[in-house]
Amino acid sequence: MEVKIIENENVMTAQLIGRLDTSVSQEVATALQPLIDKADKTLVLDCKGLEYISSSGLRIFLTVRKAAAAKGGKVIVRDINNEIRQVFMMTGFLNLFEIQES
Amino acid sequence: MDKATRRTANGGLLIVIVAIVALEATSLLQYNFTHRVLEGEANRRAEGQLKATELQILNVMDQVETAVRNSVWSVEQQLGKPDSLLAITTRLVAANPVICGSTVALKDKNLAPYSYQEGNVILTSSLATEEYDYKNQEWFLSPIGLGSGYWSEPYFDEGGGNMLMTTYSVPVKDKRGNVAVFTADVSLDWLAEMMDNVKVYPSSFSMLVSREGRIMACPAETLVMNHTIEDLAHLTGDAESFEGINRALLSGESGRASVNLEGKSQYLFFDSVDRAGWAMSIVIPEDEVYGEVNRIGRMVLVMQLLSIALLIIILFFMIRNQRKMQAIEQNKSRMEGELQVARGIQMSMIPKIFPPYPERGDVDMYAAVVPAKEVGGDLYDFYIREEKLFFCIGDVSGKGVPASLVMAVTRSLFRTVSAHEKSPQRIVTSINNSMADMNETNMFVTMFCGVLDLKTGHLRYCNAGHNAPILVGKGDNAELHVVPNLPLGVLAEMSFTEQEADLECGTGLFMYTDGLTEAESATHELFGEERMLKALDAKLSSEQQIQAMTGAVKAFVKEADQSDDLTMLYIRFMNNHVSEETERHLILHNDIQQIPQLAEFVEAVADVAKLDVALTMSINLALEEAVSNVIMYAYPTGSDGLVDIEAIIRKDSLQFIVSDNGKPFDPTAAPEADISLDVADRPIGGLGIFLVRNIMDEVTYTRSDDGKNILTMTKKLA
Repeated sequence: MEVKIIENENVMTAQLIGRLDTSVSQEVATALQPLIDKADKTLVLDCKGLEYISSSGLRIFLTVRKAAAAKGGKVIVRDINNEIRQVFMMTGFLNLFEIQES
Repeated sequence: MDKATRRTANGGLLIVIVAIVALEATSLLQYNFTHRVLEGEANRRAEGQLKATELQILNVMDQVETAVRNSVWSVEQQLGKPDSLLAITTRLVAANPVICGSTVALKDKNLAPYSYQEGNVILTSSLATEEYDYKNQEWFLSPIGLGSGYWSEPYFDEGGGNMLMTTYSVPVKDKRGNVAVFTADVSLDWLAEMMDNVKVYPSSFSMLVSREGRIMACPAETLVMNHTIEDLAHLTGDAESFEGINRALLSGESGRASVNLEGKSQYLFFDSVDRAGWAMSIVIPEDEVYGEVNRIGRMVLVMQLLSIALLIIILFFMIRNQRKMQAIEQNKSRMEGELQVARGIQMSMIPKIFPPYPERGDVDMYAAVVPAKEVGGDLYDFYIREEKLFFCIGDVSGKGVPASLVMAVTRSLFRTVSAHEKSPQRIVTSINNSMADMNETNMFVTMFCGVLDLKTGHLRYCNAGHNAPILVGKGDNAELHVVPNLPLGVLAEMSFTEQEADLECGTGLFMYTDGLTEAESATHELFGEERMLKALDAKLSSEQQIQAMTGAVKAFVKEADQSDDLTMLYIRFMNNHVSEETERHLILHNDIQQIPQLAEFVEAVADVAKLDVALTMSINLALEEAVSNVIMYAYPTGSDGLVDIEAIIRKDSLQFIVSDNGKPFDPTAAPEADISLDVADRPIGGLGIFLVRNIMDEVTYTRSDDGKNILTMTKKLA
């Protein structure tokens, strides 16, 4: 699992590449801390390279989302694959996130 | 003391007594014999000496008598001419050195011319003196009275040479009736000297007594001529002894008498010199005669006592030793008996009835143990539970009772552990931990453990340092691929690898202990794997196969001693109607980093079940939720625990059973997550079980009697 943070003026982008399962959730959470710190900006979770997400991954997404809600920012989840979309649907996450296709 | 020991002790005593009696009897005989020999020797020596002395005395007497007799004629001729008599006596003295003096004493006249030797000169004188009334002397009267030659009593010649003398005198008569006595004086000094020198034993001595009992020669010179034996009786106060001596000496006979002299027992040998009427004797102390034999006797006695003491000591040690040996012998036979019992118990632990499942068509199995002389530590076991054949084969390091005990423990552990476990890896791990914990003797066990699903032919197995079993199939027979791992009992908390294989109908699994491949021929050649592989034939039934293998080993080994147990277990999977069911298994430690292995496992299962990518991911998600839950919360932080995941793939469904030994937790009891809440109200957690419920069609939780959380998740397949 790989996390790349790209910081622009108003946008913080995190590229998630690989499988976000329980075994890596802790390090991913740490890697995403800059996004939570700047939750007043627009936060983009780039899921183009994300193959899989577990509930622990979903928890991280929710944490980011909650931080943005608290600080007045917004979260865009970009380019999720069909399988992850299904999980989002199953868990009601589709209602919580703005999903974008690039 | 038991009977046998007492018998031995009595035997020992008997030996001692017999030995003492035999020794004593022999020495007594020998003593008597030697005694007699020595007595004979003393007799011979004394008698010989007496005889020799007598001969010498007689020789001298003969000389004297002959010389005198030869001169008698001349004397007769000259009796009328007394002047010429001196010439005869002088010639006699000069011609015979033994004659030291001679006279012709006339009866009718007072005339007795005397020639005598003094030094080298012969002097003459006359005995017809006033002081010496020769006509009244014994030497003068006796021959005339007797009319024949006469030897006088010895006397001490004080006039002449102060010598012990005796006189031989003969009566002479001429034609004219003149009567005279012709004498020859003989010195007896030579006799005394001779007697003195006669020493047949160191302290023996000789005595010569006259016919009147006067001592003529004896070691005590003061006694000579002054005393008679009778006097000695009075002098010494030992009347009894001397009277005995006197009687013997004066008897005129020869012989031996025992007398007590000077407080000692002495032998008195005596003989008489008839012609002179003297008696000779030799006195020998008895203890000198028998001194040697007595000394030897004492020595022999001491040596006998020593040897008897030695014998007793040796016997004592022998008896003690024998007692020890008996104890050892008893111990040994008891040990042997116990070893037999141990072997009996050991053998009763392993299934021995074949075929074990005659009613079942899906499995054909046979086993054999060819035990070595000593109790060994081979084991095998099997049983069927829930349509699964649980089996193991093992070999305990070492031999004898310790090995058989470890074998017994191992076998019970196998039974106990496998009663609740379906995974050979977990069975082996559990046995290993138990054994390593109590393994103070560093004994270990190699084991191959398998669980064969008789419905599907799916085999799960785990090897703990044992020889790889041989897959006997339609093609070439080859070793089943096994990860060797370490034997049981070496290291606690060892991780063992579980492996899987699918057996086709007709495929056999031949398991053995190294007693087979290492069976040695008389030339120390090993049976080896090549011969073993050659003897395997898929066409044979399990019983035929085991018999064929046993035959092959016997033919190879022949008469050589079997050093190790030889154990074989052959299982043939014979189910023709394999159900459309496949199993896969995974065991993980409670380490979140093992989650990727779970993903791989799910991929593999999905592959078998031919699931699409989306479903695969959902299933993966559900399993990750269930398993990570166990990993993170079931066991106390820092402790090691396992999660067992079993996948059963059927045509129409996919079932996962996740089990653990952690604290009881029912994830299905968690409240349903509300997914309709907005961001602010949405709790962070609680999604996991929600996902599981949503992805799977059926989720059930049970807590088993043996303390397991079992979560069964089923997904229906279209």
